[in-house]
Amino acid sequence: MLGLPHQSATPAEIRKKGGESLTIRWADGHTSTYAARYLRGHCPCAQCVSETSGERLVFEEHVRQDVAIAAARTVGNYALQFDWSDGHNTGIYSFEYLRRLCTCEDCA
Amino acid sequence: MNPQTVSEAAVLDALRSVMDPDLHRDIVSLNFVRNMKIEGGIVSFDVNLTTPACPVKELLREQSRQAVLDRVPGVSDVRVNMTSEVRRPPAPQTHRIRGVKNIIAVGSGKGGVGKSTVASNLAVSLAKSGAKVGLLDADIYGPSIPIMMRASGEPEMRDQAIEPVVAHGVKLMSMGYLSGEMPLIWRGPMAHKALQQCLLGVNWGELDYLVVDLPPGTGDVHLTLVQTVPVTGAVIVSTPQDVGLTIAMKTLHMFQQTKVPLLGIIENMSWYVCPHCGGRDEIFGHGGASAAAAEMGVPFLGEVPLDPAIRKHSDSGTPVLLAEPESASARALTEVAGALARQISIQAFRSIPLTIVEE
Repeated sequence: MLGLPHQSATPAEIRKKGGESLTIRWADGHTSTYAARYLRGHCPCAQCVSETSGERLVFEEHVRQDVAIAAARTVGNYALQFDWSDGHNTGIYSFEYLRRLCTCEDCA
Repeated sequence: MNPQTVSEAAVLDALRSVMDPDLHRDIVSLNFVRNMKIEGGIVSFDVNLTTPACPVKELLREQSRQAVLDRVPGVSDVRVNMTSEVRRPPAPQTHRIRGVKNIIAVGSGKGGVGKSTVASNLAVSLAKSGAKVGLLDADIYGPSIPIMMRASGEPEMRDQAIEPVVAHGVKLMSMGYLSGEMPLIWRGPMAHKALQQCLLGVNWGELDYLVVDLPPGTGDVHLTLVQTVPVTGAVIVSTPQDVGLTIAMKTLHMFQQTKVPLLGIIENMSWYVCPHCGGRDEIFGHGGASAAAAEMGVPFLGEVPLDPAIRKHSDSGTPVLLAEPESASARALTEVAGALARQISIQAFRSIPLTIVEE
């Protein structure tokens, strides 16, 4: 149904563990945990992903080892945005995208 | 014979059989029953609904009365006072406008479908039912609400906030006020800043509903709206014509992508009312929007005729709902507003709070 967002991409709970990691428990019961550096290395913004080709320009290995989540906030009802300790903050991570980024054994 | 003593618990038990048809829960567990008084065999209480525009108000009143009369021995009379308090959905951490409980976006696929006319009549209808309502004209291409609502004068600055204009019981702000008589020729970033100011820099006060009339289509203004404030839900206005609908779908998909709940589709210009003979002509076809709504699983909120009276009263600044409240058009619009208020209440109970917990 178009009227209802998919349970798999609807967060039931979002927890941030200091600057190290973020955990989302989804409405379908699944839980995803993301390390800060992994999330920073998958930033979907136009500086990190080419706007014309869709090619990724900034990878996890380009990001400082000790990068941390300085702050996290929700964007409307549909996404999260982070202030990273390296000063970057332009990526808007939709919940659909975050669910696709899940690194657990079942998803990866 | 001693009259049987009536206990509050027995009355509440009886009222547990009364279900809210939308929320699928009984009115006791929803905490709708308030201020109960029992004097001998006379029981009185309030049923506090989620909107003053509730279409099933009288039904619930009657069901509550009957339930107590039938199920509680010793009751001779039941007095039900219907009240309402619009609930606020739990909002995420995006800026929330203080005092504003629900933000309703009104969009359309293309221009000229009567979106602003519908938006202003919806706002007036909700206000008429007793709700506190604001109306923000965010249509930068053709800000027309001040004309339709005959809002004279300009908003004033007070304590660094814009004081909205009040017309027909509705607090009004228009992006058009920001430029006076001149057209708004803006690039995206300017529209973005202007809308943020209209949302966060206006002294809206306490509002049950803030209706936002968006520009047609999808664009900067829409994105700014959904990113700046927690939007309770969106309504799409469309004509019955298929081509109009196909484009309206795009707007629907935009709201879906940004996780704004879809409160429903309104079909405008459903049929033409001939001013000479009162006859009905379905010039754009009929029923296209309800079929599309059913197909996509979105509520259909109702249909509004293409009535010269609606146009005439919009141009003269008194929405048809107030100018000719008994007309078929006014009744159609009142029904649509009731259906909308109902969907908003359902949404307020359905949404889950979205906050980031620090560990």
